[in-house]
Amino acid sequence: MRREIVRLWLLVFWAFAVTTANAGDHLFDSGFNEMPEGPRSDAEAARFLTQATFGATLAEIRRLRTIGYNAWLDEQFALPPSLHKPYLDAQAAQGLNVYQNARQEAWWDRAMRAPDQLRQRVAFALSEILVVSDRSGAIEGQPFGMAHYYDVLLQRAFGSYRELLEEVTLHPVMGHYLSMFKNRKPDLANNIRPDENYAREIMQLFSIGLVRLNNDGTQITQSGLPVATYDQQTIRGFAHVFTGWNWANCPRTDGGQWWEWEWCPSGPQGNTGIGWLLPMQEWEQYHASEDSKTLLNYSGVALPGGVLPAGGAAGPNLEQALDNVFRHPNVGPFIARRLIQRLVSSNPSPAYVGRIATLFNNNGQGVRGDLRAVVRGILMDSEARSLPTLASNRGKLREPLLRQTHVWRVLNARADNNRYQEWNAEFNLGQAALRAPTVFNFFLPDFRPAGELSTLGLDAPEFQIATDPLIASTLNQLGARVYWNWRGNDWQGPEDIVVDLAPWQGLAMRPAALVDAFDLLLMNRTMSPSMYTLLVNHISTLNPSGDQGRERIMDTVWLIQSSPEYAIER
Amino acid sequence: MTLMNRRQALKHMLCASASSALFTALAGKLSLAQAATRSSRRLLGDDYRALVCVFQYGGNDALNMLVPRDAAGYATYSTSRSGLALPQANLLQLSPSVPPSGGGSYGLHPGMQGLQSLFNTGKAAILANVGPLQYPITKAQYQAGSVPVPAQLFSHSDQQVLWQMPTAEAADRRGWGGRLADLFFSSNPNQQLSMNISIDGENVFQSGNSIVPYFVGQDGVDGIYFVNQEPWNAPRRAVFEALRDASYSHAMQREYANRVRRAMDNETMVNAALSGAPPLTVTFPDSSLGRQLRMVARLISSRDALQMNRQIFFVAQGGYDTHAAQLADHPGLLSDLSASMSAFYAAMGSLGVGSQVTAFTASDFGRTLTINGDGTDHGWGSHHFVVGDAVQGGRIVGQMPNLTVGGPDDADWGQIIPTLAVDQYAATLATWYGLSDSDRALVFPNLSRFNSPNLGFMAAV
Repeated sequence: MRREIVRLWLLVFWAFAVTTANAGDHLFDSGFNEMPEGPRSDAEAARFLTQATFGATLAEIRRLRTIGYNAWLDEQFALPPSLHKPYLDAQAAQGLNVYQNARQEAWWDRAMRAPDQLRQRVAFALSEILVVSDRSGAIEGQPFGMAHYYDVLLQRAFGSYRELLEEVTLHPVMGHYLSMFKNRKPDLANNIRPDENYAREIMQLFSIGLVRLNNDGTQITQSGLPVATYDQQTIRGFAHVFTGWNWANCPRTDGGQWWEWEWCPSGPQGNTGIGWLLPMQEWEQYHASEDSKTLLNYSGVALPGGVLPAGGAAGPNLEQALDNVFRHPNVGPFIARRLIQRLVSSNPSPAYVGRIATLFNNNGQGVRGDLRAVVRGILMDSEARSLPTLASNRGKLREPLLRQTHVWRVLNARADNNRYQEWNAEFNLGQAALRAPTVFNFFLPDFRPAGELSTLGLDAPEFQIATDPLIASTLNQLGARVYWNWRGNDWQGPEDIVVDLAPWQGLAMRPAALVDAFDLLLMNRTMSPSMYTLLVNHISTLNPSGDQGRERIMDTVWLIQSSPEYAIER
Repeated sequence: MTLMNRRQALKHMLCASASSALFTALAGKLSLAQAATRSSRRLLGDDYRALVCVFQYGGNDALNMLVPRDAAGYATYSTSRSGLALPQANLLQLSPSVPPSGGGSYGLHPGMQGLQSLFNTGKAAILANVGPLQYPITKAQYQAGSVPVPAQLFSHSDQQVLWQMPTAEAADRRGWGGRLADLFFSSNPNQQLSMNISIDGENVFQSGNSIVPYFVGQDGVDGIYFVNQEPWNAPRRAVFEALRDASYSHAMQREYANRVRRAMDNETMVNAALSGAPPLTVTFPDSSLGRQLRMVARLISSRDALQMNRQIFFVAQGGYDTHAAQLADHPGLLSDLSASMSAFYAAMGSLGVGSQVTAFTASDFGRTLTINGDGTDHGWGSHHFVVGDAVQGGRIVGQMPNLTVGGPDDADWGQIIPTLAVDQYAATLATWYGLSDSDRALVFPNLSRFNSPNLGFMAAV
């Protein structure tokens, strides 16, 4: 019955591109008092939650329908962050050795069951923009420091981007990853110049990008060519700014002599390593104060000509340089587009980017860089909330990691030992938290696979890791986690993360209802009629009593998750 | 695409791109490309030929890979490199068959015994100071801005592309390996398997106009277990395939479905071929690069079963972005590179294709002559290895740079201005591969801006 309505509705939609209200849904709908802003259906709620959490669950759909988007967002903004480092601390307190494995466990635990889902999801998006990675030898041995870095992303996820940028800049994990730690002023006699690593990447990847942008994210051109945002002189200027930073609380009893700089411990005796959790601190003797510094120059720049005068101290110079980056008109559209790509779709329209950039520029109360306003804007934008379409410039390929969290949340996966010992998701999924190959993340925001998508001019970042081996291993992993790792199987060990199929066994007797349920939970009711028919017909041929219908549930879930219609989130 | 012949493929491309700028570009080239295929293919027989790109991600500090050993040269180097200079006595001696242009003697980073030996026995050549250029350029021209240079020099992501693309101005990012494959793939009897195979995932180098690289894992390829050919999977497989093969109106859905289909089709074929090939007799290092090159060797050993005459492979090594701790991190990378490439060379000999397979290195950029304390920053020109029996080895090709800080090759801030263009390096390899003179401009449109279209380090075809 419902399917008939949907089919009819799709026909209407295709024929007239009507964007009126959803025809309604019936499975879980039980007469909510709908909020004016929506959601107006389970499907709308599920779609919103797909963008805002690590996977919609029935409980969350119900809740969202009860309180509406605005209250849900307010609630999420107000929830305290479920931090990751305390998870590691708890393991250490039990006498366990803590490696990066523990950090991955913390990530899965929070993705799976932290109440502050929106914050967790936004922090994950930020972790793919402000990238650090334990594949780097400089930080692979620092699970606590890296968990703490992630916690910074969590704590600042709804705060000021300017403050986030500063905390990231001074975090020892970033300091080591992009080598600003102990970067020092020039020593021209020995051909030593300041390290340019952080100077380059903070601009290219964390704030403004390589070319000047209009507020809507499109490129500004001169004579048909893009215009560079900075040149080597600017890199040099920032490289000089980012000098003179070392561990916090270095002993300087000898007055800050070179050996004290060189051999400063990462914490006082008995607590070495504490430095990984504290912002780096400045040493004026190693800061390139003498030179003036060419920074970014743009209309309305605070520093005259974009030049930071000589003579400042390390701290104030850093503040001014970060202000200089942060106030650049590119930051709004640059960050807006990246966050939209992580949360909603790969090819947001310029108008959408422009609206979010405008919110970034001013949250309505004169504040620039307010991520709460940006996140709310992204999720509540008409382009995010309008009905799903089959237009190729809408939607995105789901990240493999999010496919796993999605099905696990839907099927309430957990292990008897209460841990998520999912330590090496990158083996099969090509991704794990803070484990990108380089600071350029797992994929580039403007990646276009050769072939049709390039021809159409569509960005499709996630396709960069949709290689033949990862397509197979991802589908095998998702399959193994449903077909083999289910609660109650004979081989289940205490550490096995198993899905709970029992609640679905009643529905398994009704193939159409079963497919309907997972169409909602996994696909926000976007399943095409032909796919629906194929699945229902197939499920109906499986013996409902054999393994209590278990195979019906398994096949429904995996065939959906491995389908092209599911793969592309719309 | 896979079952189409080349002409159909081009036609398909034209239809698909009729609304884009690419259409104009391609339409003009269609007749050229058709002619091109014939003339390039005249040079081939039924023989086998493969190029293997070894990409050093991050920007290799080649200035600490190939180091002056003579007194004057070493003195300049050690002054410029101060705290990062390698001890002179540790350098591995190179004995070139022809003295390097500009004189002097050079040594390799200690730990590169494999490549040292290949160089000294004439099986490896070194290309001196290569980098992306739009035109030949002097320091004065660079500083005056009077000669165009590629956009976004010194950026990782951009210079990686510049190294893999035949022209720095191209808007569509198609690599020269892909463009070669556009011309050559029809010579493979097997038209299902891509001519270009990457063991390290996506890259620009191997993407052509009608060629999409096939991706293999470093330890092989997996099928999709839950829909394999076991009889009990048949019903599920039928639904899976019906969903995969349905027609989709969203381009990303089509792309995804195509990839799943290709992964499944190729897996069956490639695994059958791999399992039929005799085991390799050469042991590779158990590093990522070693395993990748081992997989390339296994695929090459399966070339008859796979019915491939022409192949281009891509492997990569990460970690070269040595802004910090360079003296600790760089040696391991170079010794892995050396050992892995040497093992690969030996494996090719054991397969009897030593003169038919050429491996070469590429990297984002070289690094600065000056240092930042314990590391180096993004540079420009760099040195590279070409390895194989078809290489006119034992030579340093081109001009080694002057390593004086602020000297004639120092762009300004320690970046070395390249004296050979990537185009020349690549075109020389492509010519050996079979690219005819008349087709060269199709693949390397800027090549005519440089003096030597063929640097002469490969045996005549």
